Amino acid sequence: MKKLIPLLFLGLAAIGLMLLLNACNENSGDSGPSPQTGAGGSMARFAITDNTLYIVSKQSLEVYDINDGGNPAKAATRNLGVGIETIFPYQKNLFIGAMDGMYIYNNAKPNDPKFLTKYTHVLSCDPVVVQGRYAYVTLRTGVNCRPGGSFSSLDVVDISDPEKPQMVGSQRMDSPYGLGVSGNKLFVCEGDRGFKMMDITDPKAPVQKQFFRDVPAYDVIVRNNHLIVTGNGGLYQYNYDDSDSITYLSKIPVL
Amino acid sequence: MQRLHATLCLKRKSILTAAMKRTLLASCLALLMLSCFHREPDPFVGNEKFNGTGYRPVYKSPDEIAKVEVQAAQALKKPGKIYTFDRYLFVNELGKGIHIIDNTDPKKPENLSFISILGNYDIAVKDNWLYADNLSNLLVIDIADPRAPKFTKTIPNAIPGYNYPPLTGIYFECADPKKGIVVDWEKVEMEKQPNCYR
Repeated sequence: MKKLIPLLFLGLAAIGLMLLLNACNENSGDSGPSPQTGAGGSMARFAITDNTLYIVSKQSLEVYDINDGGNPAKAATRNLGVGIETIFPYQKNLFIGAMDGMYIYNNAKPNDPKFLTKYTHVLSCDPVVVQGRYAYVTLRTGVNCRPGGSFSSLDVVDISDPEKPQMVGSQRMDSPYGLGVSGNKLFVCEGDRGFKMMDITDPKAPVQKQFFRDVPAYDVIVRNNHLIVTGNGGLYQYNYDDSDSITYLSKIPVL
Repeated sequence: MQRLHATLCLKRKSILTAAMKRTLLASCLALLMLSCFHREPDPFVGNEKFNGTGYRPVYKSPDEIAKVEVQAAQALKKPGKIYTFDRYLFVNELGKGIHIIDNTDPKKPENLSFISILGNYDIAVKDNWLYADNLSNLLVIDIADPRAPKFTKTIPNAIPGYNYPPLTGIYFECADPKKGIVVDWEKVEMEKQPNCYR
């Protein structure tokens, strides 16, 4: 009987994951006929949801109505603190990565984002991605990021109550830049040091499965088992599957 | 500055009585704190001494900045952020522009064209419209034909920026708006300590 318990948990996790993924699909289907928009990586300062373009400058969130795509119309500005770096829209919230924390805005009214909270952490450079109830934030030390800081890390933040984010896990990283999440996989770009594949079957505790040291990685896009990675070596594409291995597709080298 | 206070304090030390020493030490400390305080009230204020190198602004005229050119496909040199849309990939060339790549077959991506945009780092696409930053300007580009993108519109001053280098603990020449718009900062040897620090 005892041997069966871990299996039972795994099964439950799998069912949970399926439910989660289904929920996401349903959500995206809800919005009806929506414009075709693309997807960026976690390092992006630009993000589009439906007919709104969000831009984070170094100190503000600029909102543009793009119903008429050729003529963006300024809809709102939200002044933020200093050192704003990235924006990641997820469902009805905007997650904004800053040097000293993560801002969460609700954009249920796309042209009028409402400030919910600021999750403060040590000074660092920190893109963020979100899946389900967890946000994954990389904190990178460096000359301009975490002066005199200790070490880089990957933090897991429970955002199920977006007004009260709580850190539930943290682990050491080398020099993390962009990251991407899909299903039970989390990918972390470690700059010139390479590219990590992590398992997040337990979303609170990512476990490193692979470290591809020959793929310099700055930003990544993950979609449908497809990986697009850029870095100092050029642009790399891979497929991956549940066996934690990746298949090389192509490379556009840097010349 | 601090170095100066410190040496002054040291030199006088020998000829002072213990009581005076204490007062002086306190005032030295106060001065030290003041000297920090008077710098830019930025969380990253460092205590670097000027070491003969500093950052100098690179200026361009508004006309040069506004020049957007669609060119033949170019090799990647310093790729930055990526953006996917439909079967296309958009790859930023740090500070230089955007590569448009046909990714219908990810095993054989085809580099289609390059849009040269000064100060570009970001990309987003909706339908046939591509949005890109051009320093503080927001550009709208029609990519209905991704082999021949058409530059459509500039929204000036859409993205507020800073007039200082993206570094801390450094000295730099203060930006002079009369000379043009700062597009970059170069590290150079300087005889005199420049007036700006962060």
